[in-house]
Order: sequence, then structure tokens, then C-alpha cells
Amino acid sequence: MSAVVNEPATTAGSQQTRRHVVVDPITRLEGHGKIDIFLDESGNVERAFLQIPELRGFEVFVHGRPVEEMPQITSRICGVCPTAHHMAATKALDDLFKIEPTPTARNIRELVYNAFMLEDHALHVYVLGGPDFIVGPTADKAARNIVGVLNTVGLEVGKRVIEARRKLREVISYFGGKVIHPVMGLPGGVSKGLGDDFLPVLKQTAEESLEFARFTLQVFKDIVLGNEEYVRLITSEDYTHRTYYMGLVDEANRVNFYDGQLRVVSPTGQEVEKFPVQAYASHIAEHVEPWSYIKFCYLRNIGWNGFQEGAASGVYAVAPLARLNAADGMATELAQEAYGEFYATLGPKPVHYTLANHWARVIEMLQAAETIVRLANDPVTAGKDIRNIPSVTPSVGYGVVEAPRGTLIHHYETDENGLVREANLIVATQNNAARIAMSVEKAARGLIHDGEINDGLLNMVEMAFRAYDPCHGCATHSLPGQMPLVARVMTRSGEVIREIVS
Amino acid sequence: MTRVEKVLVLALGNELAGDDAVGLIAARELRKVVPAEVDIIESGEAGLALLDHFSAYDRVLLLDAVVAPDLEPGRVLHYQMSELRSVANPSPHYAGLPDVQRVAAELGIPFPKEVRTLAVAIQQPERVNHGLSEPVSNAVPNLVAEALSVLQGWTSTAVGDGSP
Repeated sequence: MSAVVNEPATTAGSQQTRRHVVVDPITRLEGHGKIDIFLDESGNVERAFLQIPELRGFEVFVHGRPVEEMPQITSRICGVCPTAHHMAATKALDDLFKIEPTPTARNIRELVYNAFMLEDHALHVYVLGGPDFIVGPTADKAARNIVGVLNTVGLEVGKRVIEARRKLREVISYFGGKVIHPVMGLPGGVSKGLGDDFLPVLKQTAEESLEFARFTLQVFKDIVLGNEEYVRLITSEDYTHRTYYMGLVDEANRVNFYDGQLRVVSPTGQEVEKFPVQAYASHIAEHVEPWSYIKFCYLRNIGWNGFQEGAASGVYAVAPLARLNAADGMATELAQEAYGEFYATLGPKPVHYTLANHWARVIEMLQAAETIVRLANDPVTAGKDIRNIPSVTPSVGYGVVEAPRGTLIHHYETDENGLVREANLIVATQNNAARIAMSVEKAARGLIHDGEINDGLLNMVEMAFRAYDPCHGCATHSLPGQMPLVARVMTRSGEVIREIVS
Repeated sequence: MTRVEKVLVLALGNELAGDDAVGLIAARELRKVVPAEVDIIESGEAGLALLDHFSAYDRVLLLDAVVAPDLEPGRVLHYQMSELRSVANPSPHYAGLPDVQRVAAELGIPFPKEVRTLAVAIQQPERVNHGLSEPVSNAVPNLVAEALSVLQGWTSTAVGDGSP
């Protein structure tokens, strides 16, 4: 990798001010993530956080629009999670019009949603986050990508990954039209049922998906858990935070991606809150820092006590590890078996190792695949009754799903004609923002001393946030093939005193 | 008999991000004037997802927007595949076009023999916004004309498949 280093002249004044380091990976799919690291006068880390330059003005944009358009509009917010936004919006419409989907419609939604979760998680395991482990955290940067993964796991595995994802995307497309902008969800149902022609394809894809998920767990065990060095990294204090955890659970407190109540457990694993999404504002509050426009979510009943770990701090996490921690178990047999192994190895509950998100993600792939098999073989899924027609006057509605990256909440209020008056979304990365900031900060503290910036900074800091699979509310992009990584050291007043472009 | 090459126009963009949608808008104009055998797809995807679209085609023309703060908004830029650099960076977050091509090559997945990109320079969109700014909107006819020119060049170079 060639790096261009620009080092503008340091001004005398900058020696006396707090400095600011920026790590700015610009990507298409993931939006523009940017890590900001503030240094104090002596050049040590004072505060660090992940900037998420979301597209602002969403509330203004949707004001006055028919609320039925929300599943389509919100699915366009983000090129990464269109299905998650589409489903949360659809469920918010159910709630708004006080209507339940038919059993068949519910099955179809859950089927599509689990196909999306499996496909998205597979992308992360093999392409986005996995290379850190599959290729190796200390491997050459240029090899730490999908091609490096293929070289490690072999071409046959690579073909399976591509094929499995393609077939899952076909399932999503069958019911929802375009994968990127599904048009499936309607209040009280779905727009398309399962045809006899597609049933055999679905069943076969379901079986292959399960086989693929089992195989992925084995790959993870062989390559990651079989390597003592990786396990040491996962369990190292640098990547550990003792916080609260939140996730959707079913009536038996098992992990559920599509529906249920939000459950919160303490840093020592006790249930402290359990509530339906309609009550989210009583449980989740947002903290604003003067140096960031990000709203940091925290538990209202615990309170904001800074970027701190422990029971006295309302900071909590979402995403795969948090979901496993917040539940009593998985909802399917094989996933439950893997869940037991996870806690037997890393436990006791809750597991606080951020990098354990990768393993938790693979366990969730298993649950998604087993759920797809169950729903593909359930005769209810092939039923013809796919919609209940709403008849009440809308006013307010809430929807929640577990997006791959964590809890996603949609909240709409309308006038009596169903035109949007207010819309509020809490996205996964916003739930995680405080803990991500803490992770970035911890990694940065370990690498920056007295103004000396360690060369390993970029990857070690990126690894800290990559485990969360953060998603930015913006699908704007640079040209395919170009992804500059920029690290900037800045003075308190924003003057750049060092810039590294990779 | 000459086999007709399969040609795809793939427009990439986000319709809620203002000027980012320029490729999508141009694709809709293009659809009115190109022969039916040229497929035109609009998408907000990138990376490996593009592979699903690419595999069935001999030549692909991408219509896109590129955030280019230093260029005049609306300028149409041309790129050949060989001009796009591989993503040599510390993050595996992203599979750029050259990386997608490498994955396809390693796995034996068919890949178009030619991929060209026409990208319109835009400023970073900051607000959710439907519709194009004036300079970028004015660039749509240019983008369509450039795209037609590329497509016409391709049609005239259609090759035989060796069958009589």
C-alpha cells in the first residue's frame, strides 16, 4: 500500500491546543464512517468517537407524505439495510392502523426477514469483518479483503458463499421485488403470496442455507477458535466493555429478529427492563455532546454518566453479542447448541468482549437458517390469505426489528388523513454509538502516546468498530474502486497538522 | 450467424440523496431511446452485489455519481476498468470494481469483457433531498449522449461466436 503523507507546517499555537485525529474511510455501501480522536495538550487521547455523517433533513422530507409510502422511502435511506427499514416501517404501519398481519403474511415477512439476516451476516462474516480473523489481524493490509479470504478458505468455499448469497437474494426478490428496495410490506399483510411454482425452490434454498450456516460455524471454529492468538485477542482487555445489553426477545426470552419485546440486561446479566416498542421513549434517551452532532442513546432509567462502563452508566449495546446477552437462549435447536458452546467458552454471561460479536453473528446465521427451514416447510406460509385490510383512522405507530447491526425503531405520527406529521427513527448504530466511541477510544489510548501515532492505529481502531458492523444512514458513495482512507491530526480549532491518505 | 453481445447499463445511486440520483435519472431517459435488447437496471448496490448483475453480460456501462469537491458539479467523467485502482487500504469494508473482478476471476464466475463508467461529478449531499441541483440536472443530456455514444461503439463491434 502506498501512502501519501501531507504534513502541513505546525503552528506554534497548535502545540498548546487539543489535537484532533480523523480516520475517514469513505465507502459506498457503508456510507462515510469517520473516526475522530481528540488529543489533549500533551498528545494523549482525551476523547474518541465514530462520526456518522447521516443525511440530515429526513423528518422534513417525509412531512406531509402519505404514511403508506414510508416502507418504500425508508428502505432508500440506506443501501445496506433496505429490508430492515422496510420491515420496521411495515410493522409501524400495522401498529398505526391497529391491524395484525394474517398468519400467512406474518410467516412470509419472517421468512424474508430471516433470509435477509442470513445473507447480510454472511457478507459480514466473509467480506467485511471476517477478514480480520479469517486472513488474520496481523496479515498484510492488502491481503485483508475478500480475495485474501478466498485464498485462506479456498475457492470451493468462496463459490459456496457467492452461491448461498445469490439464492437467498432470490428468495427476497421473489416476495419483495428488488432486493435493494423491497415493495413487500403493507399494513396488515404482504403484497405477494408464495406460489406453488416457487415452493420447491424455496425448500431447497432453505436446506442449502442451513447447510451453509452450519458449514460457516465450522469454518469459524477451525480458523478462529482453533487459533490461540485470535482467542487471546478476542478476550483481551483492549476490546472489553462491561455495559448493558439490549435485544428483542420472544415470549420465552429467546432471540427473535422480527418481533417481540425489548429486553435489557445489566453488566452482571440481570434483566433490568423489558418493554414493548411503544414504550421506547420511556426507556431510551439521547445524550448530546458539544463536540458531536451524534445523539448518543442511553438507558433513561439508569441515566447518562459519561462514556463509562458499569452498572451506574446507562450506556448499552445492541447487535449480535448484545442480542445473545439480552436473551436466555436461541429460538432454534442448533443455534441453541452453539449458544451453549459460546458461553461455555467465553462466559459467564454476559460476555463483554466486543470482538465476540463475530462469533455471535455466526450463531445468529444458524438461527436464521433454521427459521427459514421451519417457515419454508410450514403449510401456513403457502396460504392464500395474505392481507387484512385496515379500517381505522391512523394516529401513531411504532415498529421494531433487530437489524443485523442491532435494534431498529421506527415511530410515526400522522394526521387523520394518514399524512406524516412526525417521524423518528432510532437506528442500530445510534443505539451503539456510545459503546462504539468507548471501543474506539480504548483502542486509540493503547496506540497513541505523547503525540506519537502508532502505524497500527488505523486497523486496530477499525477492528474495534468493525465488530459492531456499523451502518451509516447514507448510501452516498465514492466511485467504485476508490476508497481513500484518511487519517488527520488536527488542532482544537480544526487546523490539519498531519494527514495520511492511503 | 453473429451472436449479439449482451449489454447492460447499470445505473447506481440513491434517490433520496439529491444529486447522487443522476445516474438513475439518466437511465430513465436512456430507456426511451436505446434498443430493447440493451438491459437497463437501476440499483443502489455496490461491491459483491454487482457481481449478480454483471455475470450475464458481455459489456457493462455504469452510470454513477462521484463526490468530487474539487471539480465543477455536472462534469461527466469517463473511466475504463483499468483506470480504477484496486482498494489497497486497511479496510476490508469495501469491494471495489477491480476487487469484484478479481473475485470473479478466482472463482471462475463469468465477468464482462468490458466495463466502462460514466460518472457525474457532484458535491457531497448533506440533506435528504429529492431531485437534482441545477448544474447536475443540466448534465443529464450530456450523460445520456455520452452513454449512447459508448453503446453505439459497442454495437458496431459485436463479434461472431464462431458458428456459421
